[in-house]
Amino acid sequence: MTHAEQVQEFHYRLPHRSAGARPGSHPGSSLGAGQEFVSHMNLHDRPDPRRLDLRASLRSITGEWLVRVNRQRVGVAVQALVDVSASMAFGARRRKIDLAADFVESLAHSAFRVGDALGLRAFDHAERADLTIPATLSRGLGSVMADSLRHCDTAPGGIEGLEDVVQQMVGREALVFIVSDFHWPLDRLGAALDLLSHAFVVPMVLWDAAETEPPHSDAIAPLRDAETNVRRTLLLRPKLRSQWRDAVADRREALNALFAAHDLRPFWLTGRFDADALSDYFMEACA
Amino acid sequence: MTFAGVDFAQPWALLLLPLAVLPLLRRRRDTLAFPTLDWLPADRAGRIAGFAGRALAVLAIAATVLALAGPGTPETTVMRTGRGAEIMILMDRSRSMDAKMKPSDWRTIDPHSLLYQVDSRGEPKSAVARDLLSAFVGRRPDDRFSLMFFSAGPMHVVPFTQHDEVVQAGIRAGGMGRGLSDTNVGRALTGAIDSFEQRAYTGSRIILLVTDGGAHLDEPTRKHIREGLKAHRIALHWLYLRTLNAPELGAEESAPPPAADGDSPEAIETRNAYYAQESVPEVSLHRFFQSLPVTYRLYQADNPDDLAKAVAEVGRQQNFPLDYDERIPRQDHSRAVFAVAALCCALLLVHRSLLLRSWL
Repeated sequence: MTHAEQVQEFHYRLPHRSAGARPGSHPGSSLGAGQEFVSHMNLHDRPDPRRLDLRASLRSITGEWLVRVNRQRVGVAVQALVDVSASMAFGARRRKIDLAADFVESLAHSAFRVGDALGLRAFDHAERADLTIPATLSRGLGSVMADSLRHCDTAPGGIEGLEDVVQQMVGREALVFIVSDFHWPLDRLGAALDLLSHAFVVPMVLWDAAETEPPHSDAIAPLRDAETNVRRTLLLRPKLRSQWRDAVADRREALNALFAAHDLRPFWLTGRFDADALSDYFMEACA
Repeated sequence: MTFAGVDFAQPWALLLLPLAVLPLLRRRRDTLAFPTLDWLPADRAGRIAGFAGRALAVLAIAATVLALAGPGTPETTVMRTGRGAEIMILMDRSRSMDAKMKPSDWRTIDPHSLLYQVDSRGEPKSAVARDLLSAFVGRRPDDRFSLMFFSAGPMHVVPFTQHDEVVQAGIRAGGMGRGLSDTNVGRALTGAIDSFEQRAYTGSRIILLVTDGGAHLDEPTRKHIREGLKAHRIALHWLYLRTLNAPELGAEESAPPPAADGDSPEAIETRNAYYAQESVPEVSLHRFFQSLPVTYRLYQADNPDDLAKAVAEVGRQQNFPLDYDERIPRQDHSRAVFAVAALCCALLLVHRSLLLRSWL
C-alpha cells in the first residue's frame, strides 16, 4: 500500500466484555456512562442525579429515588505481534512483511478511530526491541509502525520469538493479532496460545500466492529455505505440483484444527490485505 | 609434459584447473528463497537435476581448461605387420612391346631362321606380359595393385586398389590398339614413385617395371628416383623382356665398377671397357638400379616360359608378412575436449533455460 492510497479501515468489536477503565467502544464490564442498562441504584448509593429515573422511582415500593446504572463501553489495548523472521521477507509481488505493514497501518487507523491503544511487538527468534512500541493512543503511530516494519532487517526466526513476546502478555486482556506465516512446529504454538487465554487472539496467517500455488510451468526449481538456508532442488511436474498443493491443504487443515482447539478462528491473508474481509471476520465473531 | 600417457602442449594452463571447483561453491544467488521447505515434497528427480547442473558446470570448466592445455597422445612407434604388398605395375606401352617374343624352343632353332621363326611363331611381348600379369594379380588377393602404363610419359590407369576386377580390366585395356611411339623410363619411374606419396606404409611396396628396353637417365631424374624409392621404401623389380638381339644383362654387366686405379694402360683399358658398356641403355639402367639403396631385382625373360618363371619369382619374393616400425605422430585431442566442453555448455544452457528464475 502506498501512502498515496487511502488507508483502509476495518471495524472490529470484541465479542466479550473486557475490564477497563478507559472509555472506548468495546463491551466493558465496568459501570459508567454508557448505553447499556444494568440496574437501578439508590441515589444515596450512587449520587448521580443526572441519571435519576423518575418513572422507576415512582414505581418503587420503597419510595426511594432510583438512579439508572449503565455499563460503560471500554477501550482495550490492541497488540500486533508481527513476525519479522526471514520467511516473512518472501513474496512474489510484495513481501509478506509489506503486507503485514499494510495491515498494521490499517489497524492503527481503525484502532484510533474506536479509541483503542495500539502496541507493536515484532519478533524473529526473540523479541525485536528495536521495533517494539508499547500500547499507545496516538494518531500518527500507524505510519511509523508500518515504515519500521517495511524497512526492518529480517533474521532467521522461530517459535521462540513468539514465546518470548507472549510471555509479556500473560493475563492481560487485550485484542492480540498474531501476524505470521506460522511456519512453526505446531505443538509449541499450542502452548504459546494457551498463555494468551485472557486475550482475544486473531491469528493472521500470511501466505504468499507463490507459496501456496506452485508455478504453472514445468521447471527445475533450486530452492533455499529462507530460515535455515537448507537447499533443495525440485523438478516441477504435475505430480509434484499436486503433492505441493496437498501439502498446503494439509497445513491449512492442521492450523485450522489447532486454532479451533483453542477456540480461535484464523484470518487467512494472501496477496492483498482486504479490510472489509477483516470487518466481516469480526462481525461473524460477534454474531 | 606427460601424465599417464597424455601429454600437454601447454601444461601451464592446467594451473587454471582449480577454477572447476567454482560451480560447487554455493551462492545464495543461484537459488530462490522459499519460506519453508517443510511442506514441499522431497524430490529425487529434482536432486538429480540439481546435481546434473553442477556436474555439467564443473565438467565444462574442467574440459575447457584441459583443452587449453592441449592434451595429446605423445609420439610413439608401434610394430606393425603388413600383410598385403602394394604393387605398382609399371608397364611399357611402347611400340617395341608389340614385337614378338622368342618361342620357348628358340634354342633348338637354327639361328639363321630365328628371326623369321620369331616373327611367325612368337607372341607379342605385351600380350604375354598382360596374360601373366593378370594371372599374377588374380593369385594375390591380399595385395593392392596399381597399374600405370607409360610411353613418353606415365599414364595412370588404376590407382591403388584391392578390387582386382578393376586391375584386370586395366591390364586388358593395355591391349587396345597399337603401341605408342616413345619410351621414357625416367618419367615413368618418377610418376610411379610419386603415386606412393601421401600413402600410409602398410606393407612392402614394389614397383614392377615391365619393359623391354633401357634408357639413359639424366642426373636429376636419377636423384629423384633414388631419393623417392628410398623415402617411400619401394623395392624395384625389373621384368626385362628381351627382344631378339637385345643385350643380355649378365654377370659382366652387373659387375661393380672395376677397382682399377692409376694411369697404367691396363687400368685405363679396363675402365674404358667398363664405361663403354654404359652406352647401352639397358646396361646403363641396370647399373643405375643396382646402385640404388633399395631392394632391386632383375628378371630377364626371353620367352613366355621365362616370363612366367619371373612372375612366379616376384610372387615368391613378396609372400611373407612384413614387420615394420610405424612412427605414429603426436595426436592432438584438444578438439575433442573442446567439443566436450561445448557440449557441456550447450547442456548447461538447456539446464539454465529450464531453471525457475523467479516466482512471478
